[in-house]
Amino acid sequence: MIVVEDVHKRYQTEHGAGKWVLQGVSLTIQPKVSVGLVGRNGAGKSTLLRLIGGVDIPTRGKIDRYCRVSWPMGFGGGLQGSLTGRQNAKFVSRIHGHEVDIPDRLAYVADFSELGDAFDQPVKTYSSGMRSRLQFALSLAFDFDVYISDEVTAAGDASFRAKAAAAFKNMADRAGLIMVSHSEGTLRQFCSAGIWLHNGRALWFDSIDEALKAYKESIGAC
Amino acid sequence: MTATPKAQAREPQDTRSSVSIALSAWNALFLREAVSRVSAGRAAWLWLLVEPAAHLTILMVLFSTIRHRIMPGFDFALFLAIGVLGYNLFRHSALRSMAAIAANRALFTYRQVKPVDVVLARAFLEGVIQLFVGLIMLAGMSLVGFAELPNDPLTVMLVYTLFWLFGTGVGLMLSVGSTLIPEVGRVANLCFIPLYFLSGVLFSPAMLPPEPRYWLLLNPIAQGLELARAAFSPGYNGVTGLDLGYLTAFAVGSIFFGLALHVRFSRRLLMQ
Repeated sequence: MIVVEDVHKRYQTEHGAGKWVLQGVSLTIQPKVSVGLVGRNGAGKSTLLRLIGGVDIPTRGKIDRYCRVSWPMGFGGGLQGSLTGRQNAKFVSRIHGHEVDIPDRLAYVADFSELGDAFDQPVKTYSSGMRSRLQFALSLAFDFDVYISDEVTAAGDASFRAKAAAAFKNMADRAGLIMVSHSEGTLRQFCSAGIWLHNGRALWFDSIDEALKAYKESIGAC
Repeated sequence: MTATPKAQAREPQDTRSSVSIALSAWNALFLREAVSRVSAGRAAWLWLLVEPAAHLTILMVLFSTIRHRIMPGFDFALFLAIGVLGYNLFRHSALRSMAAIAANRALFTYRQVKPVDVVLARAFLEGVIQLFVGLIMLAGMSLVGFAELPNDPLTVMLVYTLFWLFGTGVGLMLSVGSTLIPEVGRVANLCFIPLYFLSGVLFSPAMLPPEPRYWLLLNPIAQGLELARAAFSPGYNGVTGLDLGYLTAFAVGSIFFGLALHVRFSRRLLMQ
């Protein structure tokens, strides 16, 4: 379970404090729920994911994670371009305290990502689809209770998306997912519930379809 | 206040203590830095040795053949080697650590990794690398007859450890400074050039008149180099009456201040 309590966030800019991105977001994400975040560009979706993932600290309010939460998988973050996929995977295993069973984790990542020989090539030679496959396989290699995905699933090709969705369906009874995606299809494929971020606040919908509907109506209304 | 949900009670082995998280992050960062440092480009490890060796050779040629400098009671090659290795240890620890945050920004995606971790991992790796470089250089020099074993090896090791700690402390401070104010990094890079000459790498402060000597010896690195030379050879005619306390104070003080800056600005460092 993740409890987000009255979270405010603004970033420091060169001209002092910036605009409020989040203004009083309060949420409780129950275990084993897969939820999609919708909202306009700049509504604070990635910011909220970073806060939930513990990468950044809220300006006000607090976030309690009563479970193991993955890092936010997203573009660019978390992979070192000059190192190979295998070396990156080793690094992630080590910081998650899996020094002893690195070979198992590596085998899983190599198998799930289907990178083949590219697994031993520097990550900077990867295409964006290959990078997101590696990131996705990396996070699945560890037993998190909640996985956080920032657009990463959208970058893979159709067959990989289907495989990733199937992997999540398989562990739906033990793990949840929080994801941002601009693709409705991806959201419907992965998520049951939805959060709509609007004007710095968050609204919870038990069904992703309703969240998408509210979001679309708001665009139409503007 | 919300009550802690009891459904979340986990087996103890599931949650790691802060110490074990930090230790595994340091281990991972150290190995990762080491791999990228040694395997970056063609024979990167060779350049680690070639750079100080070339530096020393150029100085040797300049001073011993052109200027015919003679150091009474001391092999001049060894004199220079002690200075260059000591100064390089300090400079590399400080400058490599300073750049650590910018170079590892992608890793802050993992909340186990904090800015201070990447700085410390780099500083530690730099110490290990410079230790090997120094040992290989001295071994090579003694093979060709330029150097002998130090007379007081413990003091030599202590001085070099203090150089490394001082470099780490300066690196901790500069890493915060250069992340928050980019100009700090540029100015720091520039400052290391005059510092090279003001640290007595190429000469002994004992050769100077009393007044400039007094000012030069305010520099803890100049003091440390004199102490290392005196510990190497009992016949060395350097500045007397120095003790390790001055350099130690700088090393401990800079590390304390650097860590304090990291605590104070931890939020700002992550956000940039």
